[in-house]
Parts: sequence; C-alpha cells; structure tokens
Amino acid sequence: MTPTGPLGLLAATGGNSGRELVALGAALLVAGLLARAGRRIGLPTIPLFMAAGILTGPHTPGPVLFRDSADLGLLTTLGLILLLFHLGLEFSLDDLLAGGRRLLAAGAVYLVINLSAGVAIGASLGWGGREVLVLAGIVGISSSAIVTKLVVELRRLANPETGLLLGIIVVEDVFLAIYLALLQPVLGGVEGAGETAASVARGVVFLVLLVALARWGRRPVGRLLGTGDDELLTVCFVGVAILIAGVAANVGVSDAIGAFLAGQVVAGTSVAHRVQRLVLPLRDLFAAMFFFAFGLSVDTGALGSVAVPVLAAVTVTALGCVVAGIIAARIQGLGPLAAANIGLTVVARGEFSLILASLAIAAGLDGRLAPFTAGYVLVLAIAGPLAASRSHLLARWLPARLFPTPAPTP
Amino acid sequence: MSDQIREQELPGIGRRYSVQADGGEVSIVIHHSGRRDIYLADATGHRQPAVATLSDDQARRLGAVLAGAYFQPTLTRQIEAVVGGLLIDWVTVHADSPGAGRSIADLQVRRQTRMTIVAILRGEDDVVMVPEPTEILQAGDRVVVVGRPDDLDGFVRHVVG
Repeated sequence: MTPTGPLGLLAATGGNSGRELVALGAALLVAGLLARAGRRIGLPTIPLFMAAGILTGPHTPGPVLFRDSADLGLLTTLGLILLLFHLGLEFSLDDLLAGGRRLLAAGAVYLVINLSAGVAIGASLGWGGREVLVLAGIVGISSSAIVTKLVVELRRLANPETGLLLGIIVVEDVFLAIYLALLQPVLGGVEGAGETAASVARGVVFLVLLVALARWGRRPVGRLLGTGDDELLTVCFVGVAILIAGVAANVGVSDAIGAFLAGQVVAGTSVAHRVQRLVLPLRDLFAAMFFFAFGLSVDTGALGSVAVPVLAAVTVTALGCVVAGIIAARIQGLGPLAAANIGLTVVARGEFSLILASLAIAAGLDGRLAPFTAGYVLVLAIAGPLAASRSHLLARWLPARLFPTPAPTP
Repeated sequence: MSDQIREQELPGIGRRYSVQADGGEVSIVIHHSGRRDIYLADATGHRQPAVATLSDDQARRLGAVLAGAYFQPTLTRQIEAVVGGLLIDWVTVHADSPGAGRSIADLQVRRQTRMTIVAILRGEDDVVMVPEPTEILQAGDRVVVVGRPDDLDGFVRHVVG
C-alpha cells in the first residue's frame, strides 16, 4: 500500500507512486475536460469539477480514481488556502465604504433574508445547533467566483445595477470573514466553558495580531516578499499564506480565516498587484482539486435522502435572492430588469458553500451536510447562471408597481 | 450631452468609465488584468449592448489614436507651441494651395510673411531639414514654420490658402 493519510501523495516516493500519479493526472484531466464541455453551454467550472469527483469516486459505478478524498490530503487543503488567500488579496474595505449607505443596506438586506432562510431550513430539518449555524452560511453566501465571471460573460459590466450587484458580493465577503472567525470555536467542539473561553481568547488575540499586521505591517512584509523575481516572489508568498493558515489552525481559528487574513496582509504591500497575477494559476489548479475531492467525498446513495431538503433549500434560496434583488433595485431606484439581474445572479452558490461544508465535515458534524451541500451547489451553480442569462423573462413577470420610481437616466 | 466622464468601482473586476455620447452611452471597463471592454449602449437603453474586448496593449494604441497622436482631423494648426514670443507651428500643403508646386524663393516666404520654414515632412518618413530656397513645396508636405504668432495667419493665407 502507498502511504495514506493527509501526506499520502506528498510522501509517495517510488513504489506505488506511479499509480497515484496516474490517478491524479486522470482526475485533473477528467475534471478539466468535463468543465470544458460545460463551458460551451455557459456552465461554471465549480459544479463540474465536483461532478468529476463524484463520477470517478467510490460511490458511483465505473472507474474509481481515488477511494477516499483524504488521499488527496494536503493538495485539497492548499486549494482551500489559496481560494481564501486570493479572496483576502482582492478584498478591500475601501470598495465597500465607497459604495455608501445604499450598498450597505442592499447587502444587509440580502444577508438577513438568505441567512434566515438557511436557519429556517436547518431548523425545519431538525438538525443540531452547530449544523444549523453552518447551514446558514452554506445557504446564505453566494459564490464570488461564479457571480464575477457571470457579469463579465453576460456582458453586463456597463449595466446600471452591476456596481450594486458586485457590492453585495463584497458585503458577503466581509460577512464571510467574520463568520469564519466566529465559526471555528463553535465547530471545534471544545468541552467546558473555561476551555472554550480560553480557545476563543487565543483565536481572537491571533486574529487581532493579523489584522494589525495587515494594517501597519505593510513595509516589513513588503520588504520580506519584495523581490523583482516572479519565481522567488511566488515561493515566498505561498510560504506566507500556508504558514499563517497553519498557525491559525494551530491556535484554533480555521486555516481558512488565516489564509484570508494572509491575503489581506499581502494586499497592503507593494507587491500586491504582482501576487494577484501570480496566484491565479495556482489557485485555479489547487481549487479544482479541492472541488474534485469534495465530489469524491459525496456518497451518492445519500443524495436521495437529502433530495427533499435540497429542493426546499433551492426554492427558498431562489425566492430569497429574487426578493433581495427587488429590494436592492428599489433602494437604488432601478427597475424590474435590474432587480431580476441582481436576484438571479447572486443566487449562484459555489466555493464558499463547499468550503463551509468541508470545514463542518472535518469537525465531525452531521454527515448529511456533505451530500446536501453537494446537491445544493450542483443545482444552484448550474441553474443559477442559466437563469441569470434569461433574467429578462423574470423581469417581465415582476409587477411594475413594485418599482415606484422610474429608473433614473444617468 | 455632457463631457463628464463618470467613474465607478467594480469590486473584484476593475473600474468603469462612462461618457454620454451622441446617440448612446460609451462605457469602458478596465479589468485588473489589463483587459478592456468597450460597451456601446444606444439611447433607448442597455439591452444587448455591443461589446469589444481589447488587450492592454491594443487599448493603449487605440487610446493614442483617439487622442490624435496618429492623425488630426483639422489640417492646419495641429500643434502650436509658443516659446517666449516665438511660435513653432506645422501646416499641411494641399494640392490646390497657392504654395503647391512653387519653390520657397519663388514664394518669397520670408519677405512676404516674416516666417521661416525650418523643415518639411514629406511622405511617411522623409524629412527635409532647413530647406534650401530652391526647394519646391509639394501637395501633402507638412511644413514646420517658425516666427511671430501674429504672422502665422498671413503665412497660412500665402502658402496654404
């Protein structure tokens, strides 16, 4: 047997490593080709990478590339770290503040509606408190990656609602950062109030230190990373991202929030623009492995048992997003088409739902979260973009009296 | 119609610049990657706008074209520089200009107009520096002149027409 466990692939030398390499190469190729086929009909990559994992996993007939998602071990963790690192790198509070009150109001409305939807679904399923908390995030937070790509590909960048739409995504990102920070102590399942308090305190101290580093540590970090050579810069910034994520995991906050804040730290430095460019191919590769591995872990037999909750969650999410879209459009004085565009674009779910589910599974929460999230993301990541491209059909159905003020001509 | 360019941040994508043009709105989106999208929406609304996508390099060239670096629509007085009372300007001779086909001496440029021709740009890259009085002006020549600002109009009338 090859060495298994999280380090399996990395520790494999000689012996059976050939078989693992063949499996890994085949996995990437299947995922890539499937996503390429999907692209032709306008589908995003995330659900198809995950579908590749499901199809070549142990729970479906046909060839099995990997028996266990743990066989991909560190590679998938790198995917998670790089996804969050990139988010932290791109994220800027100034973007949020520049949007003003209307943007904050629209984002807050969106979050309240969709997080409540998640809580309501979790509660009605009779799941435990920790599961409900995770479910709120899984159901509540849109996929930044899919939404951003959608507005570019649907050629809506010049539309009046696009600034607001992307602003809502930024508000969601802020929420995600805070939510991730708060979630880990809960997921950690530490026994006893004293121990919980101690672990929360340690986590808070670490997060405050990181935020302070992001705020005031630009120069030293910039000097540490600052090299004109792309090769050296890549090695160093990946090192910083993984190191901070690892320390974060050690002190009891998640590696995800550590990676996000590492991105924020680098975002303030002089090399930020180059890192933004250099991180993309790495993120794309390892994130694909993360989505693939998530697909592997989905027990398709259990998909049937969560079908009803998934459909209920999809319906509630779609309704919640359309309502949030209408309110956002009204706040900005825009019309029904803008409302439909916002609602049907932000409905896409993807990387964040999967990240949250994987954190929950790792923490030993209810196993049904994996098939539930897989089904939920599959439906919304595929139906969302298809619906968004046909938003004018919904706009026709939205009663005009919902939009009292005519769209201002700028 | 206004000359105002409106600017908006598109978080995660880049920045958008819009200007109201004749018959519609032109929006330029500059992506963080350097990619540029040009959107043209007609006056009736934003449905199905025409979009062109340019690379960073193409966009810079196009920008130079728009700014007039390659070609200026008005043929006289493209560039006018006044340095301490001295004017340097550049005019183009047409086929039906009074100066076309005549030499500088024949035109008595210096005596008649008090301006001096310091160079002639002919064709793509032919430059005649400090032309002899015998040099004959041709249609299409771009003539660089130096003199007092007040004398330019007289020179243009005399040589370009």
